[in-house]
Amino acid sequence: MIKYFVAGCLATSFLAFAETPPPWGETLKDAEKQTVYWNAWGGADNINAYIDWVAKRVKEDYKITLKHVKLADTADAVSRVLAEKAAGNDTNGSIDLIWINGENFRTLKNNNLLFGPFSNNLPNYRYVDESSRTSLTQDFGTKVDGMESPWGAAQVIFMHDTEILVEPPKSIPSLLDYAKKNPGRITYPEPPQFLGTTFLKQALIELTNHPEKLSAPVSDANFTLVTEPLWAYLDELHPVAWRQGSSFPSGAEQMMRLLDDQEIDIALSFDVSAASVQIEQGNLPDTVRSYVFENGTIGNTHFVAIPYNSASTAGAQVVADFLLSPEAQLKKQHPTTWGDLSVLTFNRLPKKYQTAFNDLPRGVATLSIESLGKSLPEPHGSWVEALEKEWRKRYSR
Amino acid sequence: MVNRLYQAAINMPLLYISAISLTLLLLVPIIIGLAGTILPAFNYLPALAHMEFGLTPWRSLLAAPELMGSIKLTLVSGLLATMISFVLAFSLVAVLYQTRWMSSIRHSLAPILAIPHAAIAIGMVFLLSPSGWIVRLLSPWLTGYERPPTWVSVQDAYGLSLVLALVVKETPFLLFVILSSLPQLKPQALLQVGASMGYPPLTVWRKVILPALYPLIRFPLLIVLAFSLTVVDLTLVIGPNSPSTFAVTLFHWFTDVDLERRFTASAGAVLLMAIILLSALAWELFYRVFIYFDRKRWGNGKRHTNAYLFFKTGAYLYLGNMGIALLSLLVLPIWAFTHRWRFPDILPSEWSLKKIQQLAPILVELACASLLIAVVSSLISIAISLVMLEQKRCCSTVTQWFDRLICWPMLLPQVGFLFGIQVFFIWSDVNGTVFAVLALHTLYVLPYVYLTLSAPYLSFNQQYYTQAICVTHSPARSYFLIKLAMLKPILWSAFALGVAVSFAQYLPTLIAGEGRINTLTTEAVALAASGDRKKVGNMAMLQALFPLLIFMLAQWLPYSWTKYRLTLKSTLKKGALKKTQPIK
Repeated sequence: MIKYFVAGCLATSFLAFAETPPPWGETLKDAEKQTVYWNAWGGADNINAYIDWVAKRVKEDYKITLKHVKLADTADAVSRVLAEKAAGNDTNGSIDLIWINGENFRTLKNNNLLFGPFSNNLPNYRYVDESSRTSLTQDFGTKVDGMESPWGAAQVIFMHDTEILVEPPKSIPSLLDYAKKNPGRITYPEPPQFLGTTFLKQALIELTNHPEKLSAPVSDANFTLVTEPLWAYLDELHPVAWRQGSSFPSGAEQMMRLLDDQEIDIALSFDVSAASVQIEQGNLPDTVRSYVFENGTIGNTHFVAIPYNSASTAGAQVVADFLLSPEAQLKKQHPTTWGDLSVLTFNRLPKKYQTAFNDLPRGVATLSIESLGKSLPEPHGSWVEALEKEWRKRYSR
Repeated sequence: MVNRLYQAAINMPLLYISAISLTLLLLVPIIIGLAGTILPAFNYLPALAHMEFGLTPWRSLLAAPELMGSIKLTLVSGLLATMISFVLAFSLVAVLYQTRWMSSIRHSLAPILAIPHAAIAIGMVFLLSPSGWIVRLLSPWLTGYERPPTWVSVQDAYGLSLVLALVVKETPFLLFVILSSLPQLKPQALLQVGASMGYPPLTVWRKVILPALYPLIRFPLLIVLAFSLTVVDLTLVIGPNSPSTFAVTLFHWFTDVDLERRFTASAGAVLLMAIILLSALAWELFYRVFIYFDRKRWGNGKRHTNAYLFFKTGAYLYLGNMGIALLSLLVLPIWAFTHRWRFPDILPSEWSLKKIQQLAPILVELACASLLIAVVSSLISIAISLVMLEQKRCCSTVTQWFDRLICWPMLLPQVGFLFGIQVFFIWSDVNGTVFAVLALHTLYVLPYVYLTLSAPYLSFNQQYYTQAICVTHSPARSYFLIKLAMLKPILWSAFALGVAVSFAQYLPTLIAGEGRINTLTTEAVALAASGDRKKVGNMAMLQALFPLLIFMLAQWLPYSWTKYRLTLKSTLKKGALKKTQPIK
């Protein structure tokens, strides 16, 4: 495995030096009339509507036909690329663009199943300041290397109904205290669902006595020693958790449904505007508010990548570039559209767009950038699997 | 003369060749699917650079922490659900057979059979969960709950809610099967003879009809068993999730980004096949033992049996079950038209049509795709079934293999089998086409259609056909105008069942359609994960509509067809007469 990884890295960096990408004008020309199948998670109406808008705009500007293939889980697209590779379909794959990050990206990149590097050459990439967020170049500890293009930024937020819970617990330990006083009202999504794993990581960062070990690969650390406080914590939490820890919600959406039903008191989401959007749609009461923990919450970046066997790489690049444009990023951050944080750096934007970003309204329950506070970096990607495996071993019985 | 024509009809070489080719055609996907499951189970899959056979997948399977727990759940839920479903369905028929209730119950079967099981399960979660409709109806005036209670009523760790969901889904299917098979036994006559000898009806059901009926519905029962042991979508919705059933655990492994999991999953799929086989054997063994001891009681002359209370309880439980199903179905459209509905309100506080308007454009597209796939695959399945059954009637040795193969797709767990076929589809570059989707749908629709048609078709009184040939001198004409026309009710039932089965397919559409061909079901299940009850309510409601209409058509049309046809004919005749009269 390591051998493959090293070989893969060498191959990609070699390619990066050997091939100069064709000029953008040529890519634009090739992209015309191409059909781009974009495999993206399709579980949220507002995001689907935004993707429809993107499809309309790239048709107008670049004559590209963009088709949204709605996924229940991004892993489905990853296994499809792998299956195509297995079947020898190297030039005419069914996927041209994937909404991706973290573990899925690592799998595709390490198996050399991605087209690129391409993202650094996209014209709109000039608005991205790589130093502004670690996650722009380190996707869960995996080097991005231009193999995926940033699309949006996310940070964990918590939600509570102010009518029921006035002073929400603002740290992992106080969450447990609350659960003990109010049995059955606290839960988290089931790992390996990414938000569930994120909760484990958030808890680990706050609880471990060796936080410095988390930024390096898990193999370099004494896993048992580092994670011991986490399991002790969960062993205490589960008996007083929702359904006594015998089952867990499937993700943020189900958590918000449970919050609305008052089955649970605190929900979490990776989407900073989730609460406002759901209030607007009648899925949460307007007394719900977002908040973050005192010592910060985990944040990351999500990307789009192009499979190696896509037949429309030019079209896919143009779409990726459009997604990075100030116009598309501005619309995406609008709270009634989606509210997903922009990946562009404010200072690098033209004046016109700086004003526009400043003028964006915020939903009633959305935190401002300042109140979001510090975003904690994701632990190295290898921790995901180790944590999931250990969680599975302990609680999947 | 008659004899010669008759011989010609049954010795058609075309029929013979078709039967052989269809058998071979059925063999292909089964072999590919099995090879695609079994070879990786022994670490062989050249596409992923695994060239050497080995037992690594089995070792990692045995080391999987959720193995024992999930297998236990699978066995308990699968066997319990099948047993309860059969007992309830038979009890109901025994208690209510000759009453007017039976016909209303018969009519209530259509909606429940037509609606995809995942949709019913979602409705049940809306209904039974601590914040569900039932608690809402009773709170706070009776229960005192201002907030939902903290007890666990769905997704419970023992899988009891899963058993309930399976029973709600399977009892109507078994009832449908029993009611379709019963006429062959002429129960009315048996009951009359019994009555004349002083046996009350329930005793006749217990001692005469049950033993005679069981062999007729043995296969449908095994299908129910295999389905209960392997169902994925229903378990995802209402089953426990840590651990879940074995099939769902495998499903997660197969779709895991870590490709090595595929091998463990394949080994698991082989194990799941063994579990199905052993369960079926245990089931049959149980029946044999039961019959062995029960046989002595049939002829003991006792007019009353202890089964009275048992049957009656079963019948009442069935009615309770249908109550749950009905409420589950009712709650879906309520959610579909909701804007705001919070606990403990009995009904939504704000209604709106927003969701439906929002979804309208894609609904039309999805409905067309779903209908096309369902109707075409059902028609293909009926055509194949008729060819095979006609051949079987003449010469059953030719169709022996087909009869054995036909059950495999139903008995094999979809989770392993379909992922085995997936690689082949991609290799042959048909993946993502309508043909691939149709092929997989037909593979799953065919067995249901074939088995539904089988017994009634073979027990058709061939004398009618022979007589018809005597009159028309045309075997083909007689076949369509007499034999098939007389079998119309069962043909329609098979068609409607085929459509319903096709509508409910999730994995086959997903795997063959590559996400490019979507049906109402793939979309509804993808949305079900998002947890928005309004949207799910909308999708499920509409998803139910089409199979529902076809089911109702299937019940109504065969019995009214002749009447309407004759009325139409006579009107046309009269019209023709009127037209000709002035000329006279």
